[in-house]
Amino acid sequence: MADTVTLYHWEPNANSGKPMLTLAEKGVAFESHYLDLLQFDQHRPEYLAINPQGTIPAMTHGSLVLTESTAMMEYVDEAFAGPRLMPADARDAWRVRWWMKFMDQWLAPSFSMIGWSIFIGPSVRQRDPAELEAAIERIPLPERRVAWRKAIYNQFSAEEMAESNRRVAIGITMLEDALSKRAWLGSDEYSLADINGFNLAYALPLSQPHLSSDEKTPHIMEWLRKIYERPATKAIWAMGRTDMVKRVTILEREPA
Amino acid sequence: MMAIATLYHGEPNGPSLTVIAALLEKQVEADFVRIDLAAGERHSMQCEHGAEIDMSIEGEGPVLVVDGEAMADSVFLAVYLDDVGTGPALRPADPYKRWETMMWCRQIIERVAPAAAFLGTRAHLAGKLGALNEGQFEAITSRIRSADLRVRWEKIRAGDYPADQVADSQTKIAQAAQKVEARLADGREWLMEEFTIADLETYAWLAGMAVDLPDLFADTPLTIAWLARVKARPSVERALSLASHGDPRTSWAPGPEINRWG
Repeated sequence: MADTVTLYHWEPNANSGKPMLTLAEKGVAFESHYLDLLQFDQHRPEYLAINPQGTIPAMTHGSLVLTESTAMMEYVDEAFAGPRLMPADARDAWRVRWWMKFMDQWLAPSFSMIGWSIFIGPSVRQRDPAELEAAIERIPLPERRVAWRKAIYNQFSAEEMAESNRRVAIGITMLEDALSKRAWLGSDEYSLADINGFNLAYALPLSQPHLSSDEKTPHIMEWLRKIYERPATKAIWAMGRTDMVKRVTILEREPA
Repeated sequence: MMAIATLYHGEPNGPSLTVIAALLEKQVEADFVRIDLAAGERHSMQCEHGAEIDMSIEGEGPVLVVDGEAMADSVFLAVYLDDVGTGPALRPADPYKRWETMMWCRQIIERVAPAAAFLGTRAHLAGKLGALNEGQFEAITSRIRSADLRVRWEKIRAGDYPADQVADSQTKIAQAAQKVEARLADGREWLMEEFTIADLETYAWLAGMAVDLPDLFADTPLTIAWLARVKARPSVERALSLASHGDPRTSWAPGPEINRWG
């Protein structure tokens, strides 16, 4: 069909989860095309024909091809009917975009570096070294080759991990502060910034328990639980296949 | 109509140029306050501001204050001005073309701006900061709240420009020039056919590079002609005329960091 939406994605987590959850919130049905990041599906020729950069996610809408998860979310919000996910007020919209950029370019890379060192690297490291080298060589973007090499061979320096941890701690303080001022992140309505932030932070109380908990960051915890309880979030996280994503159940409220 | 805005801006190059020109294109009424971004004056502004200014990953960019709220990040300030101003639209109306515009800007923000700021400060700011004594430099950096931005200032002053990063940054500028060239190959006047924020933001970071590193633009005649077209827009001409000294394309302040993780 001309207007079919197909999403090429990995787990509902980080960048893949952003358009997945946005589509679900808008009530847009999409064909799910799961790419296993840990099997390097995203660097196979079939996928490179759709997104030559080999980054996940990518989306097709009829004959249109879209990449870059945050820009894709804005497209989904504008191109389809359903609840508005960008505030109508221009200054609220600026704040939403500011937060998305801050998360995408400053905070998420630090979370990602930690995640890749403790989850992605160990998940693939034990495979045949020649096979892994060949897989790395197939990666189109030089920056991504460096990232995969670091993760697979555990080449993260103590200095860069310390810097990532410093940024995560600051980011958590900033999120807590922002969420204590407004109902949602950046504005008083549920928006793309919340979808973006949830993908980054849903496992926070497990991954950073010394920094984020009901005692230390009550606003973040309430924010995560409110998003988790939305039907769209439940539906999308049910599509997850790995234990990493199943950690989302820590957001269940304890029985009264 | 919005309340009267105040724009704190630096020399009309990089992010300050984008916002000044967008403001003029959209005919938004504002008070202009010049600050010396290259002297760290964004960190001693009198206006109240929060983390959005202190932690702006753009580095030393302009600040727009509306109703007491201080806002940063040039592309999103331009989007804001596009929303509230009365002049012709600076983004296409079609969602897919809008996506293309924001995508293009994102790639400029992430790949080109850090490279241009790295090369621009190397050529035009490192020597000036190096000539300051410890006390003078401390007076600037002690007010900077973002530790990683402070490190960028320190590296500029120390002349810490590793050869591989210089080469990589030059490659990114050359690639950007080629990308613009390819975009214009069908004879279009502007990057998205109609004039948009993508033209402003791309010009803002590349114009100075074309002055300093003409070799990188040797095979891109369409790009050179497009740079001249952007420069001739009344909004850009007026923005450039706000320069306090010399050619604003040689004025650089510390910019965004070079991507530290894939």
